[in-house]
Amino acid sequence: MEPIIKVENLWHIYPTGNVTALRDISLDINRGELVGVIGQNGSGKTTLVKQFVGLLKPTRGKVFIDGEDTAPLKVQELAAKVGYVYQNPNHQLFARTVQAELEFGPTNLGVPEDEVAERVEQAIEFFGLQDLRDLHPYRIGFPLRKLVGMASIYTMKPDIFILDEPTTGQDNVTTRKVYRLIGKLRDEGATVLCVAHDMILLAEVVERMLVMRDSELIMDGTPRQVFSNDEIMASTHLTPPQITSFSLRIRKDKQNLGDVVLSVNEMVKLATN
Amino acid sequence: MSDKKPVIEFKEVSFWYGSKNDKPALKNINLKIHEGDYVALLGLNGAGKTTLQLCINGVIPNSIMGEFEGEVIVYGNDTYDTPVREMAKNVGVVFDNPEFQLSQMSVAEEIALGMENLGFSYLEMTETIPEVLEIVGLEGLEERSPFGLSGGQQQRLSIAAALAMRPKILVMDEPTSNVDPIGKEEIFAVAEQLNREKNMTVIMAEHEVEVMAAYADILVVMHEGEILLNGTPEEVFSNIDLIKKLGLRMPQVTEYAHQLNQLNPGSIKKPYPVTLESAVERFKDTL
Amino acid sequence: MQGVVIPISMVPGNSTIHRMNPLPKLLWTIGILVISFSTRNIAVLGGAFFVGLLLVFYSRITKAYVKVAMILFPISLTLITLQSIAPAFPRPWTEIVGFGPFTIYQEGIYSGISLLLRIMAMTTWAMVTIMTSHPSDIFTSLKKIGMPYVLNFVFVMTLQLIPILQNEFGTVLNAQKSRAMKGSGFGAILPSMVPVFVGAIERVQQLSISLESRAFGSSGQKTSFRQVRMAFSDYFALLLGFIVTGAVTYWVIVDKSLDWSQSIVFSPAFAITLVLGATIGFFVFALFAIRAALKA
Repeated sequence: MEPIIKVENLWHIYPTGNVTALRDISLDINRGELVGVIGQNGSGKTTLVKQFVGLLKPTRGKVFIDGEDTAPLKVQELAAKVGYVYQNPNHQLFARTVQAELEFGPTNLGVPEDEVAERVEQAIEFFGLQDLRDLHPYRIGFPLRKLVGMASIYTMKPDIFILDEPTTGQDNVTTRKVYRLIGKLRDEGATVLCVAHDMILLAEVVERMLVMRDSELIMDGTPRQVFSNDEIMASTHLTPPQITSFSLRIRKDKQNLGDVVLSVNEMVKLATN
Repeated sequence: MSDKKPVIEFKEVSFWYGSKNDKPALKNINLKIHEGDYVALLGLNGAGKTTLQLCINGVIPNSIMGEFEGEVIVYGNDTYDTPVREMAKNVGVVFDNPEFQLSQMSVAEEIALGMENLGFSYLEMTETIPEVLEIVGLEGLEERSPFGLSGGQQQRLSIAAALAMRPKILVMDEPTSNVDPIGKEEIFAVAEQLNREKNMTVIMAEHEVEVMAAYADILVVMHEGEILLNGTPEEVFSNIDLIKKLGLRMPQVTEYAHQLNQLNPGSIKKPYPVTLESAVERFKDTL
Repeated sequence: MQGVVIPISMVPGNSTIHRMNPLPKLLWTIGILVISFSTRNIAVLGGAFFVGLLLVFYSRITKAYVKVAMILFPISLTLITLQSIAPAFPRPWTEIVGFGPFTIYQEGIYSGISLLLRIMAMTTWAMVTIMTSHPSDIFTSLKKIGMPYVLNFVFVMTLQLIPILQNEFGTVLNAQKSRAMKGSGFGAILPSMVPVFVGAIERVQQLSISLESRAFGSSGQKTSFRQVRMAFSDYFALLLGFIVTGAVTYWVIVDKSLDWSQSIVFSPAFAITLVLGATIGFFVFALFAIRAALKA
């Protein structure tokens, strides 16, 4: 099957100041994958992801979303396929009620009214927003606002979800909720990309990690592969989850990837065998 | 913890943001913090961490409307009777949004702002600015615009601006939640250094449980306006059931020890390890 | 809209004007203000404008100045149009010529031209001050002449906020586009302003607590970090400013012969050309401006 996102020799150079933000990136993302995109600020990860949404166009090379070249497409035209959830929900929310917020996206896409209503109900159910339906988005506390932001993209039913730092600034309870929601999204058939530096999200939820550094894609592998690669981890200044570091420290066989755990449960299993 | 007099003391403190008919944001808070303590405040959003911290420098109750009961005494000053300007001499505060704390045109002026308000002399200001910039690792950036700095740098600038007023207490409300990993490391390092080298009393609200378990002397766990746990990281994380019930996370190595013990009760003795180092030390030969 | 940057800010340079302390510059600008409002004499106002332009060239801020003037001048042209048919002048009015439903008056033309020159003179001198001085120095000088501390602060903050909010607005528009929002006309732009406003309010709330925690707004003695030195030449310029302002203002008020509103007679041809020219000039500008705003 054709990958749902195809990137061919992508270069992006910002016109102001001639900054090369992306250097010869090539990758495929298949339908239904759960991918984490990591890298420090300035590594190019945000630039890359904006290419998928159409907010930026390649300077050289091509980006294909579901087979279509993004270059001639407007952001609005890609919106049906790619949903982008902003890190700061304030950038997205402006309607008078949460309900209206959820209706905005699908209505813009031309979805018939009764289906919009159905999708809104589904979203409210999925995200647990029953009590918030008639509230003004800005009257809700920040953590819940982030959920509303996600929900307002969910109602657009895109094939691809791009979540920008979905758990940053959240407490444990909401964070766990977001992890479950991401899993559910994938179960419904969506392809999910998370730009994040939440290590637990990357270890326990995503299946594949794209590591960006200095405008290049320096590693494309499973979380296990990435976290056990000392050189990559050191050069990107990222630390694996504590339990992963723990397993790396106490494993006997330095080459055995099976000794690299991604969660406490895995560590327990490993120890009791 | 020492048995000297506490420098911060909460005595039966309660606070309501609206009227007393609403839910209290703080409920009968009793807390003693001693000089040089590194205190981590843990709890879900809405637990009252920010409210508690705003009581320390007097913004509550002097500037924020609400109903206030009890006493907060900081270095002998009762916050109820002391203007925030006076409290600022002892307490510096850093908040969670790096950009929202900045307003000036240059790093130097941002740092000078507090000093100007307190009437520091020109000489004092010109000496202090490079000094605090060095402490936070932003040497030489005096003329830069604060808005051009990275999130981590902005937070360190806010720390410098607070330090310039020579406080003995530094209150930090989720300083790393909007900052990238490098920035997080930088901020934690500065806080730790200030605590260790200058005996600064640090009160930090955070969600990074593993980091707090490693750096803090005392953990205070809050829930719905109350303090439920108060002790060393090891003491606090021994209360596994309560922590879980509250929806909070514990360090992964602690969770690991707990699960091992569940499978084979009694096999792992408390206190469970709360840091990576202590866990490695304890379990290194078991794999 | 996100691309339109308000081009009023310091232009780096090393001219004598740049090196001058902002205080005399500020006071000269205020002086020109006083003079401009004390007279309608076209020569005096034209002279003030001309000297201002000389200073613009001398301090090499011409390019930046022209950007501002390009917006200001066409808008000010409306003064000629409006004044000529409805002079802000004591009656009786002298008719020059009829123009459609309107009548163009002698006093109107005179008034229009002098008001235009007045605005151009004041803003030119203001631009010279703003573009050759570091904003922080200007604010420090304002503090010195008694500007309330809080007001000063509000100005500084606003200066910082403008580019930030413009950026935010751009981000919000992008967010709406990625939710398939159609069109970029005003109907779509307006709701996008809501998040920017709310963001600004939340920012200011947070900022005010942060500032309070740094003893802001306290009534005690405040010192200033930013020091602006006054050299001998600055004192001289300051003194000169006082003298010139005082003398010229006195002269224009006292000397009745400077009222040229009756003495200059405008021919009907001239009057019509002027009014038409000003009106067309304004509309051409407005057209370009609206197109530029919508494209952004």
